[in-house]
Amino acid sequence: MKRRTWLLSALGATGALVVGWGVMPARSRLGSPELMLQTEGDVALNGWIKIAQDGAVVLAMPRSEMGQGVHTGLAMLVAEELDVPLNRVRLEQAGGDSIYGNVAMLVASLPFHPLDSEGGHKPAKIKMGEWLVGKVARELGINATGGSSSIADLWDPLRMAAATARASLVQAAAAAWKVPANEITVAQGVMQHASGQSAHYGQMVSAASGSTPSGIQTKSHEKWQLIGQAAPRTDIPSKVTGQATFGLDVRLPGMLFAAVRMSPILGGTAAAVDRKAALALPGVMKLVQLEAWGEGTAGLAVVGKTTWHARQGVQAVQVQWQPPGTGAVDTPRIQAALLNSLNTESGFTFHEQGVPTQAEKAAATRIDALYQAPYLAHATMEPMNCTAQVKDGKVEIWVPTQVPQMARDMAAKVAKVDKDKVTVHVTQLGGGFGRRLEVDFVGQAVQVAMACEGQPVQLSWSREEDMKHDFYRPMHLAKFQASLDDKGEVTSLRIKSAGDAITPRWMARAAPHLSGPIDMPDKTASEGLFDLPYGFASQHMSHVATKSGVPVGFWRSVGHSHNAFFSESFIDELAAATKQDPLAFRLNWLKDAPRYAAVLQLAAGKAGWGTPLPAGRARGIALHESFGSIVAQVAEVSLTEGQIRVHRVVCAIDCGTVVNPGTVAQQVESSVIFGLTAALFGKIDIVGGVVQQGNFNNYPMVTLSQAPQVETHIVPSTRHPAGVGEPAVPPLAPAVGNALFALTGKRQRALPLVV
Amino acid sequence: MQLNINGQSRTSTADPSMPLLWVLRDELNLTGTKFGCGIAACGACTVHVDGQAVRSCVMPVSAVANQAIKTIESLGTAEKPHPLQAAWIVEQVPQCGYCQSGMLMAAAALLDKNANPSDADIDAAMTNLCRCGTYQRVRAAIHRAAASMKKGGAA
Repeated sequence: MKRRTWLLSALGATGALVVGWGVMPARSRLGSPELMLQTEGDVALNGWIKIAQDGAVVLAMPRSEMGQGVHTGLAMLVAEELDVPLNRVRLEQAGGDSIYGNVAMLVASLPFHPLDSEGGHKPAKIKMGEWLVGKVARELGINATGGSSSIADLWDPLRMAAATARASLVQAAAAAWKVPANEITVAQGVMQHASGQSAHYGQMVSAASGSTPSGIQTKSHEKWQLIGQAAPRTDIPSKVTGQATFGLDVRLPGMLFAAVRMSPILGGTAAAVDRKAALALPGVMKLVQLEAWGEGTAGLAVVGKTTWHARQGVQAVQVQWQPPGTGAVDTPRIQAALLNSLNTESGFTFHEQGVPTQAEKAAATRIDALYQAPYLAHATMEPMNCTAQVKDGKVEIWVPTQVPQMARDMAAKVAKVDKDKVTVHVTQLGGGFGRRLEVDFVGQAVQVAMACEGQPVQLSWSREEDMKHDFYRPMHLAKFQASLDDKGEVTSLRIKSAGDAITPRWMARAAPHLSGPIDMPDKTASEGLFDLPYGFASQHMSHVATKSGVPVGFWRSVGHSHNAFFSESFIDELAAATKQDPLAFRLNWLKDAPRYAAVLQLAAGKAGWGTPLPAGRARGIALHESFGSIVAQVAEVSLTEGQIRVHRVVCAIDCGTVVNPGTVAQQVESSVIFGLTAALFGKIDIVGGVVQQGNFNNYPMVTLSQAPQVETHIVPSTRHPAGVGEPAVPPLAPAVGNALFALTGKRQRALPLVV
Repeated sequence: MQLNINGQSRTSTADPSMPLLWVLRDELNLTGTKFGCGIAACGACTVHVDGQAVRSCVMPVSAVANQAIKTIESLGTAEKPHPLQAAWIVEQVPQCGYCQSGMLMAAAALLDKNANPSDADIDAAMTNLCRCGTYQRVRAAIHRAAASMKKGGAA
């Protein structure tokens, strides 16, 4: 494909510029022992694993825990290869070396059609693309927790690091006992030999130190004892006693508190500030005028002796705001502009097969539809915050973040110090969902701390600031056009979408040196549209990337979150237009995608598709692949006095090899509720640059009484692990919308759903 | 004023209009109780005042002086968990965990009044928001804790 070739050349050129062509294979991610924190009594064997004197294992943990269970899942990989119980693995925050960067997340940004990788042999173009981007990503070493990629990315490096550590420990024991290494067995972290010798890892680690055996194999899956078994999450006990430390729970001696008030007009600035009334309040100490860090909005911060004093203070400031020079944004205007873009621009073609124009010319019937989705806020339960101390030319920050190195870089930039003068402590995250891939609030906290003469300060946002100053999921529109021949068979599908591209904006923030004047095509804009599994002979999918002026960011499941609603609702339209059952229609077009068909059939079977339901209830079905995982959902829906009620959601998921099935079920349940909140309520409106929603009273969430019962069914698999945290979000909205169509005969083509 | 928090008497010089939440979090360093919305809409700040579940982000501290205030810090400990906390672990309820202190305090107030709540009782009492969507596990854990308390054992 010409466009893909162009894309690869561009990537290659970028890669060559950044890393040079140097050594051909991507560098190992084992890392050297010096990368780990030097702690008394512990001995590091590589960049990931230390052994304590008592034989406990210390794992360098680069990924953030935000509820997705990654601190448990990644520890399981290490416990498995080292043959220790899970509770013998302790976590230590990883440093900033590039071995801890996320390679899989960047590789997943390649716009390849997932069906091309379904068979046993990947085509050369895909292998080359993955190799190239993998190599660039390995050099860049961007540490990000996102893209449902933590397990997929660290699956091989962590198991290899643990297996290598185990081999060196066993070799040390073999040398000490003068027995062959292959006669030593390990159970529960204790090495044993038939001669009666035995030792735990702590007793052999000094002897093992410095040796890095090569040619190590990780365990084959028949030998797994932990991987694949549900394990209780290690972070849960501290979360039921209130002891877990989130960003807002950091307490330091002499700590001050800061409240923030940004320009209510996105991108605006303070034109005139009268601080007298604020500074006259008790407990209020100072006012700092905040710059617009990380492409956020400028504003004010007030420092006080508690968060409450600071908030009282910041509200008392008399301030005149002025809109940005580019003018204030409005969602109705953006919507009209997107529609215009759809009608007048051709966009970037992400997928083309067959001859769509020919099929369209020969069509007996054409089906057209326009779909749309609004801006959305992340609304993590813990609002944005960061605690910072700037003292003696050094910066220390405590922050709930998905991107610790971006946070470090931001702190260094604001304080004008070298990056190695910044220490980052990653706390527990009270939700992430992509919002904490941004570091605007880190810049604010450091700026305020610089004005606090060495005292630590905790800067936090109110709910209103959090909702009105998000990096929003962008508004998207998509036009669908299908051709049917005179027998009623679908012969072509054309999809053109329009909306802001997220990745180029974020990459400019994450890796400014990689950012150029021309945006690379953003796969996230078209994902869920260009990559459909259905075998229509002719297809054409393109996207018009816009720049609407609203700060946009990654929102759980990103483009899939709205595009799956568009595509799976339209597939349902085609089933209805051709008078076929929605399940049968899909299966009919999935003959070349057996793994997709199997997931769909599993969900349908468990949900009792086709069996009678109580009066007033209907089922809807949807199928979607994202982050390497295939998910099907069947939603049971009724209408009570005009209110949509989702009673039950049956979910089937093929996410490759499963590490912790308990986490998979949790994440599916979570995704269903997250998707349902967006489907029923989610909408951010902007008028005159001001976000109209500000709290949970006008940006509501699904509550317990509205929550459906969710059932999770996992397809057994030995494929490479794929994503779990996001892939069950996208199918929810179309499954509910399709059930509403079955119930009412009215097609839902916009989010949030309205009956 | 005198505050009675988790069975201990504490003297506070706080402004009478300061919400209880901030006295707990920023003056007494009891950070288990969380800020979520500031308008009593999400329940992350739920504590007990004389046995009632109260959203502390809108409760002036002067209104609860001399009343028995109970926070998540005294619900139970890792060694001696409240039956709800034990059930929360068995059912693997929390994800990010930020809302769970409030969720547990709301559930504890419910069980204090109603030892055997129905699903409808739980629907009515548990209006706390959880962005991770742990609701069905919250429901299961409340039923589990109620059953274990009836038997007088642990969950």
